[in-house]
Amino acid sequence: MIHRFFFCAAAAFAGLVIATAAAQAHPHIWVTVKSELVYAPDGTVTGVRHAWTFDDMFSVFATQGIESKKKGEFTREELAPLAEVNVTSLKEYDFFTYAKANGKKIEFDEPPAGYYLDFNPKDTVLTLYFTLPLKTPVKAKDLTLEVYDREFFVDFSFAEKDPVKLVGAPAHCKLSIGRPQEMSAALTQQLSQLAADQRDPSLTIGAEYANKIAVKCP
Amino acid sequence: MSVNIAVERRRVVHIALLVAVIAGLLFATGLLDGAFAQGGPFGAPRTQAPAPPVGGVLGWIFTKQAEFYRQFSSLLRAAKADGSAAWSLLGLSFLYGIFHAAGPGHGKAVISSYIIANNETWTRGVVLSFASALLQALVAVAVVGLAAALLNATAATMGRAVNVIEIVSYSLIIVIGVRLLWVKGRAFLALLHTLHRPAAVGAAVTPRPHDHAHHGHAHHSHAHNGHDHSHGHDYGHHHHGEGHAHHHHHADDEDASAWGHAHAPEPEELAGPGGWKRGLSAIVAVGLRPCSGAILVLVFALAQGLFWAGVASTFVMGIGTAITVAVIASIAVGARAWAQHLADARSGYGMLAMRGVEVGAAVVIIAFGALLLTGYMVSERMVGI
Repeated sequence: MIHRFFFCAAAAFAGLVIATAAAQAHPHIWVTVKSELVYAPDGTVTGVRHAWTFDDMFSVFATQGIESKKKGEFTREELAPLAEVNVTSLKEYDFFTYAKANGKKIEFDEPPAGYYLDFNPKDTVLTLYFTLPLKTPVKAKDLTLEVYDREFFVDFSFAEKDPVKLVGAPAHCKLSIGRPQEMSAALTQQLSQLAADQRDPSLTIGAEYANKIAVKCP
Repeated sequence: MSVNIAVERRRVVHIALLVAVIAGLLFATGLLDGAFAQGGPFGAPRTQAPAPPVGGVLGWIFTKQAEFYRQFSSLLRAAKADGSAAWSLLGLSFLYGIFHAAGPGHGKAVISSYIIANNETWTRGVVLSFASALLQALVAVAVVGLAAALLNATAATMGRAVNVIEIVSYSLIIVIGVRLLWVKGRAFLALLHTLHRPAAVGAAVTPRPHDHAHHGHAHHSHAHNGHDHSHGHDYGHHHHGEGHAHHHHHADDEDASAWGHAHAPEPEELAGPGGWKRGLSAIVAVGLRPCSGAILVLVFALAQGLFWAGVASTFVMGIGTAITVAVIASIAVGARAWAQHLADARSGYGMLAMRGVEVGAAVVIIAFGALLLTGYMVSERMVGI
């Protein structure tokens, strides 16, 4: 009886703590992605060139306190220290970029110098340009590239127009783009039917939020 | 001799149970860590699969708050041109606060554990929730007001300031947990000791009708008034209990003091200076860390030349947050009362179980503080990729 009581009390408390705390942070940064897959003349993939545009709130926050000659505008030089901080700290997050060649994970090197930030004063948004070289260039029949933050603190999505380009790819390569699914009313309904700890395998929400590029070079 | 062995064995069983409860709670904390930290960015193992936003009600909350959050920038811009948009901004801030508090951070777990460990009343739970949420808003305004508005510091500088605040806050959480563990752990062991004393076992284990509780109350508060408040109330309780365990001149007194402990604190206890001081440490520990959302909104408002709108929004957000935290705190108070109800039916051993739960809650607080401090658990990543 005492045992049962112990278990009841412990379970009740544990349940309470989990229920109250097991929620995730929502995104605080929104990034619009434009990417280029770069190919060498021999048909191997050598790297990914990213252009990430941040939302206006984060852009304004990030540029707060940065000295500029012209108020409300920033040159690439003025933003250089910020670009360096961004690229350095992105390393900790694997640059949010995950690639597979023929089903096998491929590794990226750190971005070489030449990355920079641009500020668009009209929309007050920052865009970060950087290149991720592959550690070893690969020839891939099947290449997939995903851009996402698994903690979902940063919400990545592909640009509406021309989100991905193949640069120097063999002519027979075909590109397809998977966009994160909008949280539709139907999906929300489906989600609400699930218990908080339940994950429906047919409803792979994480994958649907991910931005996936697939290149087939048969 | 054989009696001693039996007592020893029982004690071992109880200690084993206590360890099991603590382990269970730690495990729960671990699960929860996995649920929202997903390994964390600080070198902890990261799984390959993307973390799906939690489904169900939480998934909905999650979508909602992101939706609300995205409207801040456009509403702040609108407020610049048209003052009436400020009202929409405040409405949005309130809703965002309510939903956002369901996410990590904002001290729900710490406050709930604290309430359970410390046997706080509902009123105190609500006051703790509101005070910590408003302190959080105040700190956000102070950080942005001082750093950005006055000193024109960069985002990186603000990030570092928040980092220092975080370390202080998490350390304080650990200190509170350790203090509670010390007090509650000793109370638990003292009670265990009492229950296993042959003379005391008879008194404490025999179920007694509830009218003894009244006696307990009177006796208890009496002893309390005579106590030095600077020691803190738990200390007071403890010495009181221990004194009885050692002398137990009177079987009725023994029982009364045990019941007296288990009941909600008397009003005079709450009003006492030590009582509020005790709560203050929890408020500061939890409320010190500003929420990154509020900091972003404030900086954005400042850039639009509408700092006041950002400040108003932050405080309204704090009220929304407080409401959610208060609801969760109320659940904690209710859960504890329910457990107490079960414990009351089981006399001395029920009391022991309650003490055990309190010890467990103190351990959870320490675990939370430690995980947050070591960066293994991210309460809410500070903006700055």
